[in-house]
Amino acid sequence: MSYLQTEIISHARKVCSLYKRSLRNLESWYDRRPMLRYRAVLLRARFDENKDVKDLRVAQQLLDEGEKELFSLIHYQPKKFTYSPGGVAYEREVAPPDWVLDYWHPMEKAAYPEYFARREQRKKEYIEWWEKTYGKPTEPSH
Amino acid sequence: MYLSSMLFLCLLAGVSLVSFLIMTFKDFSYFVEWEIVSFNSCSLVMTLVMDWKSMLFLSFVSLISGMVLFYSGGYMAGDLNMDRFMYLVLGFVFSMGILIVSPNLVSILLGWDGLGLVSYVLVIYYQNEKSANAGMLTALSNRIGDVAILISIGLMFDMGGWSFIFYNDTSKISDIGGLVILVTLAAMTKSAQIPFSAWLPAAMAAPTPVSALVHSSTLVTAGVYLLIRFGPSLGGVSKFILLLLASLTMFMAGLGANFETDLKKIIALSTLSQLGVMMVILSMGFYNLAFFHLLAHALFKALLFMCAGSVTHHAGGSQDIRMMGGLIYIMPLSITSMNLGNLALCGTPFLAGFYSKDLIIEIFFSSFMNEFCFWLLALATGLTVCYTFRLIYYTVSGDYNLASLGCASDSDYIMTWPMICLGAGSIVGGAFLSWLIFPSPYMVCLPLGLKLLALGVSLLGGFVGYVLNLMTESYQLSSLKNYKLLNFVGSMWFMPFLSTYSSSYMFLTTGQKYHQAGDAGWLEFYGAQGAYSGFMVCSKYLQLAQDNSVKVYMVMFLVWLIFITGSLI
Repeated sequence: MSYLQTEIISHARKVCSLYKRSLRNLESWYDRRPMLRYRAVLLRARFDENKDVKDLRVAQQLLDEGEKELFSLIHYQPKKFTYSPGGVAYEREVAPPDWVLDYWHPMEKAAYPEYFARREQRKKEYIEWWEKTYGKPTEPSH
Repeated sequence: MYLSSMLFLCLLAGVSLVSFLIMTFKDFSYFVEWEIVSFNSCSLVMTLVMDWKSMLFLSFVSLISGMVLFYSGGYMAGDLNMDRFMYLVLGFVFSMGILIVSPNLVSILLGWDGLGLVSYVLVIYYQNEKSANAGMLTALSNRIGDVAILISIGLMFDMGGWSFIFYNDTSKISDIGGLVILVTLAAMTKSAQIPFSAWLPAAMAAPTPVSALVHSSTLVTAGVYLLIRFGPSLGGVSKFILLLLASLTMFMAGLGANFETDLKKIIALSTLSQLGVMMVILSMGFYNLAFFHLLAHALFKALLFMCAGSVTHHAGGSQDIRMMGGLIYIMPLSITSMNLGNLALCGTPFLAGFYSKDLIIEIFFSSFMNEFCFWLLALATGLTVCYTFRLIYYTVSGDYNLASLGCASDSDYIMTWPMICLGAGSIVGGAFLSWLIFPSPYMVCLPLGLKLLALGVSLLGGFVGYVLNLMTESYQLSSLKNYKLLNFVGSMWFMPFLSTYSSSYMFLTTGQKYHQAGDAGWLEFYGAQGAYSGFMVCSKYLQLAQDNSVKVYMVMFLVWLIFITGSLI
């Protein structure tokens, strides 16, 4: 629900968000570190210039202009981290854990009776082995 | 399993190559008619054609597939579904094999559809949203070609036979005009020519060994191969339209690759550009030349993808060239092989690409051609060298720019051996094919200016690609001044948007808005999660009330008693 604004976002937070997105956009355009650092310092200076603006109408206008400028310079292929949302390897391999099968509906389980019967048997055997090896678990006191 | 598959495919490659040599030197070919069912004078016959072309192509497909499968043993090691992957790739090769040896359009459709189906399954092999979208785009774009072939089968049924051999008589072009247009359309979808180009870079969502196979000798070459087989029937307006669209594809892909940042997509766009070259020369009637370039291209393109896979595999999965650089010091063998493939792609003298590309360009220049296509080809030749050298700058010689100090190295011999084999192929393959396919050399007479044009644009392309990229690493990007143009060129002329969003944008965005505001929005906020938190707060108060039970009950009882008594009075 991140796209749904369910709370009032403060002006300071909006400015910080704009700053972060602008910095990431710069990272996409300037791929060599020294150039990126130089542009990042300039960007920070631009934000710092207006940090003491007290009139919220002016501050809001500055924010709107900043958003517009960022939109007009957004990179056509933004740099994404490989395993982050939007990255090439994001959610590449999904391995559902074994316990998911225990939460199947009985009707679903009924489609594979032999498998689930054997699975229950194996679980029982495992519990027996566990209790034999490590003893019975103690009852919780509360 | 990768070892046994590789051995089997290499054996098949060897047998096919020997058959090709025997057929070439003794000048004969086999037609095998296998009667599957015969009943009351009706027979179902499967025909196979084994001529020099099919045998040579089969040997290349088998060799490259064998190498790719062996490479997969290293690249996909530790993958959860390795066996499934191997079977799918083998199914892919089998479909291609059927397509190669079939003269009959019905059995061609079997291979053709098999390729489409397996390519879809392979593109969605990784189970994320990006792969699902790319797979759907691939499948639906190819589906247009499938429909064109199905209609062609219907037309051919009316004409008397499904074999392309019956239609290779050029005197009857006017009778089969519709058929030729449909077959050309089918080939254009499979070989990703404009306006069906969007799926090819999108299909990069597949694992890299699949890309190596799909973009070198199998899926995308199926369209070119179909047109080579139907070649003599090509003519009239379809030929001209094919020339125009192929030239545009070549130019668009070359230009796009210069602004692309994804390593695999750059190589995919270069495939698109080379497919354009094949289609251009095909539309001019030089089928054997197109076939020659197809085979030479298969060798170095598979090599390039393998090297790209090796780099991404060792660079933590990242495919962004902005996160690479200086790799020659870390992975010398992979990068040397990659450079070999790159130089072969540029047409560097005596490497594989030189023999076919140089011949194609010179024959094109010596033909009567419209000026628009002429300049597109000349520019595309320069652009190829330009994006190749840009790639070299970013990956090989630029500053080390990896996100982290990974464990990149050439230590995995399972991945490096196939590269070495195909690297050797990229060196000698062109000369080998040239001697075998063209026993007597082509005689091309060109004025000096035209002769030097290809060399000139290549040198200029190399200069622009390397030196300008080096020089423009400044503190103020000049490219930002032409932001809109940059956006247009870097997004493949907006083709992915046009071929997907144009038909579904309105419905999908409306649905998304409803979903976001309703199901996953306010209904979720006030409905499921809101109700949950509301009940939780209420139950906490109730629990609090129950904790001091006796006193609270007494107070409540008294309050109610007073209230009821009061109301009664």
